[in-house]
Amino acid sequence: MIDTLYSLDALGTSQAFFLALLIGFGFGFALERAGFSSSRRLAGVFYFTDMAVVKVMFSTLITAMMGLSYLVGFGWIQLDQIFLMPTIYGAQIVGGLLFGVGFVMGGWCPGTAAAGLAAGRIDALVFLLGVTGGSILFNEVFPVIHSLYKAGDHGTQMAYTTVGMSRNGFILALTLVGVAAFWLSEWAEKARTGRGTYLGSPFLKAFSMVLVVLAVGLFVLSPATTGATAKLTGAVTVTAVDEKALMERVEQALDHIEPEELADRLMAGEPDLVVVDVRPAVEFNAFHIRGALNVPLAQLVETLQPYQSKGLIVLYSNGMTHPAQARDSLQRQGFGNVYLLTDGLQGFRGRCLKPVSLRSEPLTTVDAARVNAWRAFFAAPAAPAAPAVSAEVGVFISPLNAAMPRVVETDWLAARLGTPGLKVIDLRPQPEYNAAHIPGTLSLNVESFRGNMGGVPSVLLPPPMLAAQFSLLGLQPSDTIVLVSGDKLYDTTLAGMAFERLGHMDYAVLNGGYAKWAQEGRPTDAALPTVTESKYPVKKDADDFTVDFQAVAAQLGKPDVVIIDVRPADFYTGKKSDEARAGHIPGAVSRPFTEDVITSSNKVVSFKPADALAAAYSQIIPSKATEVIVHCRTGHQASQTFFMLKRLLGYTNVRWYDAGWTEWAARSELPIVNETQDVKSKK
Amino acid sequence: MANETGIFHGEPKPYANPYLVGVLLGLVLLASFVILGAGLGASGGIAHIGASISMAVSAPHTLSSEYFGKWGSTPLNYYLVFMFVGTFVGALLSALLANRIRLQVERGAASSVGRRLGYALAGGVIVGFASRLARGCTSGQALSGGALLLSGSLVFLVCLFASGYAAAWLVRRQWHD
Repeated sequence: MIDTLYSLDALGTSQAFFLALLIGFGFGFALERAGFSSSRRLAGVFYFTDMAVVKVMFSTLITAMMGLSYLVGFGWIQLDQIFLMPTIYGAQIVGGLLFGVGFVMGGWCPGTAAAGLAAGRIDALVFLLGVTGGSILFNEVFPVIHSLYKAGDHGTQMAYTTVGMSRNGFILALTLVGVAAFWLSEWAEKARTGRGTYLGSPFLKAFSMVLVVLAVGLFVLSPATTGATAKLTGAVTVTAVDEKALMERVEQALDHIEPEELADRLMAGEPDLVVVDVRPAVEFNAFHIRGALNVPLAQLVETLQPYQSKGLIVLYSNGMTHPAQARDSLQRQGFGNVYLLTDGLQGFRGRCLKPVSLRSEPLTTVDAARVNAWRAFFAAPAAPAAPAVSAEVGVFISPLNAAMPRVVETDWLAARLGTPGLKVIDLRPQPEYNAAHIPGTLSLNVESFRGNMGGVPSVLLPPPMLAAQFSLLGLQPSDTIVLVSGDKLYDTTLAGMAFERLGHMDYAVLNGGYAKWAQEGRPTDAALPTVTESKYPVKKDADDFTVDFQAVAAQLGKPDVVIIDVRPADFYTGKKSDEARAGHIPGAVSRPFTEDVITSSNKVVSFKPADALAAAYSQIIPSKATEVIVHCRTGHQASQTFFMLKRLLGYTNVRWYDAGWTEWAARSELPIVNETQDVKSKK
Repeated sequence: MANETGIFHGEPKPYANPYLVGVLLGLVLLASFVILGAGLGASGGIAHIGASISMAVSAPHTLSSEYFGKWGSTPLNYYLVFMFVGTFVGALLSALLANRIRLQVERGAASSVGRRLGYALAGGVIVGFASRLARGCTSGQALSGGALLLSGSLVFLVCLFASGYAAAWLVRRQWHD
């Protein structure tokens, strides 16, 4: 079985980009070989002078269709591993009609224009500029045409189902139409220009024959599942009344459950909801809807006996045929509570699990959050498979009750965005916040948590003042807080110190900050959130971690206390200074805060992997219980080291000298060490 | 003429057999299905380029717009953008090999350059708009969706040719010799 990049949700990776480039190369090469780098040749199809477009298009379509059907027939790939675009009749009919006009006017379509540009056609360049402009125009008028864009949405719709044929029958019919089109094209060319190169040629005869034979061959390879003749059960008394009731349910689609509804019900942990996967075990093990039971069709009645007419039984397979037959059989045997998952697993994947970034239709913020929540619940890498699958039924962990990580990833946040009680605070400068932010986030300048106390500038405010600010932000002690920074990750940890001071431990830092969120193309908006002022209680005794200069001075010279100076190394040595005195506290070790984060090319700042950090700090701090004091100049950068040591690495005895070097340097009675020869002390 | 060779001289080679090229193209499309799990696409790449231009003009406006907004702040990081670049390079190689590169505005001899480029631009705008509406163009919808036997894609294909033939007479002059 082949895993496509789409099915692995890896179309956004650099590997996918490279493969897309290669496939594009083949595409462009073939287009040009066909002579589609000439607008005159392309337009010829509309004047019956050059029918190459019809010949190439049908050959391509039939080849790919046939190839794919054979691969599916051999079991090498499944259709649901391929992105099946939704059928939206209104948009596609109007789009197609418009497209035809543009095509015949411009003499190009987007792909062939790329080929035309490569062959030096200036009209192709102009056409492409037009396409770019048309796309931008579309975006600008999108709000106006929104209803047309969605008009006649039927989801994934296979043409053979629409016209009520078998898949193989439809393929044969389409192949025959294609072959007829080839011959008509040749005939039209001959009538119009006297050419008709392949009309009646041995080549075209052979080519037509091969295609038809291949289409017929599909009937042999994968015979269609033949209706209700495959009996699931033996002798069952069927009454006319039962059958009528069944038919009525079928007619009213009462026997269907939509993927979205099933997803929500499963996530809500609804009791008495039994989801049954009737596919072979191999497929079930590869992927299944979380919580589903795998029951072979033959054992369905037996296995489901305990659930008969109790709660809800939902059957699914890749498509709809097998579950529908099984449902009919169960119904005949007295199960009145059996439902089919609309569009099967294929529909569930497309409608619930398809990443927001790959959807062609834009989603509202609410819908996007819903999709992300589904994805986090159903599409997350499976935990080691539980041997007793049935134990999964009904087991459910609330997204917010699960052990809260201290550093959360964008996926984590995306999956929970919009959850009541989750407050996201954006600490970037206000203009950046105003331009675009994660939907629903509050803006905060972290400096508003600091002020001048005791003559020392920039120290964290006392609990009553912090509580007053929390109240203005509408925060509650029960809220889960996620802090989001720009390129200063330590803004989040400084804000974290304020939460720690008030004993609000349910807070986390978004790894990579807003930059990572935006880079991943996740939803943003520019709206301000609605905030109701709260009364955040003042808790005064939670802060046992902030120390003043006396406390630090008292520890000087003690071998079992580690003082870490997190400022850049030049400030530690005294080479640089913007304070009263240059240098560092005697006995302090230097570990710049910048060593603990990685900054990638586009300002995405994340913590280094925990094991790398643990290894580095095990060299500096003897044990997890060692008393550690961290400081920088104003307490800002040191908050990052504090958070990392205490909340990520589990050091239990970490203190924060908030006033930092600003205060220490200014108090001339305190000792310092300056490693540079030319002492730059300004005093 | 026989000794004249090189890119802009000499005779272009004849086009390949359209049926065999179609088979080749079908195999490329099949490879795209199997490897990427998605068909070929051209207009999607161009639209993402359009979104990045829109970003350059006004990032806040683009990010807050309903359609482009969901593509994020780096719309060029999209597989179809890379496919589009590949399409250009692949065609360039083929055109070089076949000696078909000509810097020209392709048109009927009796038609003016202005008319032809005007039609090309207007056609481009319509195609760009229509591709977004229909979720794809001749590559993404008609060919890829058609090969997957999707109802909407086949309907798109039929509508495309129907209106193309209907409008052909109106814009025929650009090809008159």
